[in-house]
Amino acid sequence: MISRALSLKSSITEFISSKQLVILFLLCIFTFLSIFIAIGTGSYDLSVINFLLGKTSGLQNIVLLEIRVPRVILSAIVGASLGIAGAALQGLFRNPLADPGLIGVSAGAALGATTIIVIGANFFPNLYLGSFLLPVAAISGACFVIFMLYVLTKGFGYQGVTYMLLVGIAVNAIAGVGIGILTYISSDAELRSLTFWTMGSFGGVTWPLLVPAIIIIFISLIFLIPNARKLDLLQLGEPEAYRLGIDVQRVKLSIIFTSASAVGASVALSGMIGFVGLVVPHLVRLIGGVNHKYLLPGSALMGACLMIIADLFSRILLQPAEIPVGLITSAIGSPFFLWLIFRMKRL
Amino acid sequence: MSLNLESVSLKLDNRQILKDVSLEINEGEIVSVIGPNGAGKSTLLNVLTGDINPDSGEISYDNKQLKQISIQERAFTRSVMSQMQTLVFNFSVKDVIEMGWLQRGNSDFSNNFSMAFKNVTKECNVHNLIHRKFNSLSGGEQRRVHFARTLLQLWRPSESNDPRYLLLDEPTANLDLSSEMLLMNILKKRASLNVGILVILHDLNLASHFADKIAIIKDGEIMAFGEPEKIMEDAFLTSIYDVPIKVKHDPLRVHYY
Repeated sequence: MISRALSLKSSITEFISSKQLVILFLLCIFTFLSIFIAIGTGSYDLSVINFLLGKTSGLQNIVLLEIRVPRVILSAIVGASLGIAGAALQGLFRNPLADPGLIGVSAGAALGATTIIVIGANFFPNLYLGSFLLPVAAISGACFVIFMLYVLTKGFGYQGVTYMLLVGIAVNAIAGVGIGILTYISSDAELRSLTFWTMGSFGGVTWPLLVPAIIIIFISLIFLIPNARKLDLLQLGEPEAYRLGIDVQRVKLSIIFTSASAVGASVALSGMIGFVGLVVPHLVRLIGGVNHKYLLPGSALMGACLMIIADLFSRILLQPAEIPVGLITSAIGSPFFLWLIFRMKRL
Repeated sequence: MSLNLESVSLKLDNRQILKDVSLEINEGEIVSVIGPNGAGKSTLLNVLTGDINPDSGEISYDNKQLKQISIQERAFTRSVMSQMQTLVFNFSVKDVIEMGWLQRGNSDFSNNFSMAFKNVTKECNVHNLIHRKFNSLSGGEQRRVHFARTLLQLWRPSESNDPRYLLLDEPTANLDLSSEMLLMNILKKRASLNVGILVILHDLNLASHFADKIAIIKDGEIMAFGEPEKIMEDAFLTSIYDVPIKVKHDPLRVHYY
């Protein structure tokens, strides 16, 4: 029993420093705090404490359980999945600028989702199937883009940084055209607005839509995190990782598929939210280090935390109107992106 | 116990890179591969590690064909140090050396890792660097760090006597004299602990002094394979390198200027 306890302890602490464990613990606390605050704050005042004490009215309960809570949970899981997918893709491509939004993965997912909404309305009238179909279509779109990027950047090595961004611009443009056409030809009832897909929003989410996405995202996080050590070894280059006993092809496939699932399921419900996958892993690296055993969970927590706050701002800045949340993340993310490019040029 | 290469041939882009190459590296033996640029030395190493599959011929570790050894098992059998590219992210030296630790269960980690790590960093004289960032090191220091990582990969529990092989591609490039000697002496020590070593070198004197056997390769063919004293000859080396070369024996010295 003692030895089992010992071995469990060491498997948690292997290749992660105690400072990093403290940071992860603090990020956990911040995430719960921001969930707590975000649920209580908004154009309709609510108190989580009163709710827990049973002192809230029926209307307050409905606002809390049917509107506020799903929205905050959605922003948390979308932030977590974009953050961790950004970290995993940056590691996989050995490219500090790989962000699901910039390199076209989110756009691919959005195109997949819009396509299934427009076509699916005619072929799959079953609503419950529909709520799983939407993330699946988005995941297929995301997968397709990552595979294409991988094929196109193969053999480009570190030079691939610029090349990949160029491919990303092209993919974003193509997907933009596709989404634009689909938005134009479909009736409003089928498709949400173009702004929803390009800027993102957490509004209007309901439990039946949210539950499948939560399941998909949790499963992909569970599959992604054990790849942390393998992602570290991939930083030495694919031949070196193989020589250290890593089945490189399998690891690549598993990372591509799990990140695409996380991004796809997120985009299907909230549209394209830019720069989170870029900024979050860099911030996490900045405060604690670059090894993936710390970086992956750290990016998930930091992503959740920042997204909850960004959504909170999108709700309260211009009350009762809402700013698209993607506008807020881009406003913070794009100067950061410029700074990164500037720093890379100096290196 | 030995690492064997039997009549291996390889064609890449219609060019014959390796022609009927056979080689044997015994446990506890240092084999140095020398030859001009583009002779196929690095490709030979890549075939030995399993990175590239040859068109024909067999590679076997201790009579077991490489094809039948799983990728994970291969990592436990042989450790490789090659010409390195840079790291994109800012890993610490400690992170990089730790990458050489093969995961074999938690009890091994908690009981042995810190000791093995300490020994290896001390041995390679990188213990003062472990808190620095890898990318801030000089080329020679980075090489020493990778060497330490390669040695950590060879770590075995003391009761294990599984065979181990160390394959190195020009490990002394960029190293100053003292680091070069340190590295070659560590190889010598590992060989005495029964590790089979293949090392690609450019310095003929270094090879003559430290290797038990030398393989001379040119245009993908092994031109000679044997003890340094027997194969290092004026006319032969001159024909290999197209440079006038004089060899003096007792002690063996190669002069080319």
